[in-house]
Amino acid sequence: MNRTSATTPITENDAQYYAGQYGPLKNTSGGVQAVWSFPDLNTTLISNYDTISGAQVRDTGNFTLHLLATSTTIPSTANQITVSNIVVTNTTNNTVEIKTGDAIPDGEFIFLQLTDIAIGDNWGSYSYLTLNEIIDNFLNIYTGEDQIIKSLQRKQVLFHARRAIQELSYDTLKAYKSQELTVPTGLSVPIPKDYVNYTRVAWTDGSGVLHTIYPLSGLSGNPYELPITDGKTGVPSQSSYDTNLEASQSIIEDKWKKANQKDLVGNYDAYSSTGVFDYVWWKQAYGQRYGLDATVSQSNGWFSINERTGKFSFSSNLINKVIQLSYISDGLSYTLNSIVPKMVEEALYAQILNRVCMTRRDIDGATKGFFKRDSYVKTRNAKLRIQNLKLDEIAQAFRGQSKWIKH
Amino acid sequence: MIDVNTVYTTVLSILNKEQRGYLTPYEFNNLGRQVQLDIFESYFEDLNQMLRVPQENTEYADRVKLLREKIATFETSANIAVAVSNNLGNYDFSAQNPAVHRFGMLEYTNGSNLPVEVEKVTRHDFLSYRRSPLTTPTEDYPICYIEGTNIKILPAIAKAAAGANGSPAKSYTLEYVKKPVDPIWHYTVGSVGQYIFDPVSSGTSKNFEISDVDQTELITKILMYAGVIIRDPEIVQTAAGLSNQQDVNEKS
Repeated sequence: MNRTSATTPITENDAQYYAGQYGPLKNTSGGVQAVWSFPDLNTTLISNYDTISGAQVRDTGNFTLHLLATSTTIPSTANQITVSNIVVTNTTNNTVEIKTGDAIPDGEFIFLQLTDIAIGDNWGSYSYLTLNEIIDNFLNIYTGEDQIIKSLQRKQVLFHARRAIQELSYDTLKAYKSQELTVPTGLSVPIPKDYVNYTRVAWTDGSGVLHTIYPLSGLSGNPYELPITDGKTGVPSQSSYDTNLEASQSIIEDKWKKANQKDLVGNYDAYSSTGVFDYVWWKQAYGQRYGLDATVSQSNGWFSINERTGKFSFSSNLINKVIQLSYISDGLSYTLNSIVPKMVEEALYAQILNRVCMTRRDIDGATKGFFKRDSYVKTRNAKLRIQNLKLDEIAQAFRGQSKWIKH
Repeated sequence: MIDVNTVYTTVLSILNKEQRGYLTPYEFNNLGRQVQLDIFESYFEDLNQMLRVPQENTEYADRVKLLREKIATFETSANIAVAVSNNLGNYDFSAQNPAVHRFGMLEYTNGSNLPVEVEKVTRHDFLSYRRSPLTTPTEDYPICYIEGTNIKILPAIAKAAAGANGSPAKSYTLEYVKKPVDPIWHYTVGSVGQYIFDPVSSGTSKNFEISDVDQTELITKILMYAGVIIRDPEIVQTAAGLSNQQDVNEKS
């Protein structure tokens, strides 16, 4: 995923945007041309190699180059330039260098084709701008002579802008990050690299419908430490290096892995003695279960976050199930210049202004109060905008108003 | 630009020393240099004061605008060759021509990107920036500090021409204020021992570089110092009074 933001005004033409195609460009240099630039493309080109014919540094680039004899030659694998003979040398102008032997002869053409994923990353790019653009705009417009903030260190804006994007990522921006995973036999998967918190964990059935998996909520647990204690005194035992000995596996987790979910959710075998409610003839436990506990009466399964192992753990009924782990990050995980939906641009300015002013002693309380309210209102507006509450959709939801809620 | 001969002859006229013996060209040149710097430095302090006062958005009465125009005469820029040393970008501006009098701003341009200001911070802040992952200097937001006559820059990126392999050009532009050239009333000695002015066009005499708006102030201040030289308190008091009156008028 390498989403980009479009320039204002847009520089890409339709072929570049919709088809990810640039060219064909004719070599009119009078000689063999090895260096080519594709400056109008929003997408930052990525090559598999950082040096021509060097060691491969990544699995796949996001474009292919073709050497075309004429402008009407169809780009194909036959005329594709070998990927190991291409490097991106300048991401500012999308400049690439081609190995001399594969360079474009005079009068012939070069053609660039983005990969499908790269084209998709660029679609919708006009709805974003970058955080750096917001920072630059703020510095240019909100500070200086005759402004409330006359002088401001740039680090203040950098810090507060980046903090603001983190906070907006937590509760305002769209939570679009998710992973499709298959629950392994070990019943746990690593926490994603840029994970901050989850929004939903769900397994998918044969139709692709998602069913929410619920957190353990105390039903079982993932102990953070596993000290081996003395069987008699309960005091942890130490190694020869004076540190506590730790068990390699948690007993609680082992038991949970083996737990029969039917015993927990109420859909149990009435004749099994592990059930709280059983039908055996002596009726010793009869009547001890009064109705269902809604928090545990579900058959979708459970997950927990095991802080000791840094993994998501799942209940045993989810083994080999395909799950979708939806989560949020903080917007700064891979670049400090993250992309920001234009819907929240104004909220970001207001948040930066509020945060910057809040810590300054040369701004009076009333002004600070105004900026605080302004920031709150604009953030709320941004959240409403992001929620996409369209009239038709609300009307459709309200059509269920007379439906009886059954218990 | 103020004509140096006009100033000298006016000063001599006011001093009423027709024989031109009591304020020699040598003394005048020294006083001229001193007063020009005095007025030049006052531009910056006056601008600071005026920025705190709401201004009229008119063509000739906006004092901030006028002061900026006066300073603009001395603003200049230069492409500088930043090199990398000890993991910092470095440039020694001691040999800069014209000499750097007041450091203005350093701009960094990466390829076809828009230029970005290399923020000038104190050494303390320079270190402080690096301690937070959210404020650490990047190629998008570089920082610098001044150590003696050296500019230290982070991240350490040297000036570079666009590479044959398509790598982008990296350049720095230093915006600064230069010092005004010293005024010189140059002369030759005539047949009867009189001083004959060498015109500026000959290259030996130099005019005052400050704005000609300040000609009156320049003359009164030279007169003030000249009064000290010829030990005439009346001249000193009159000139000081005029100069103060002008200052009050300009800032009230």
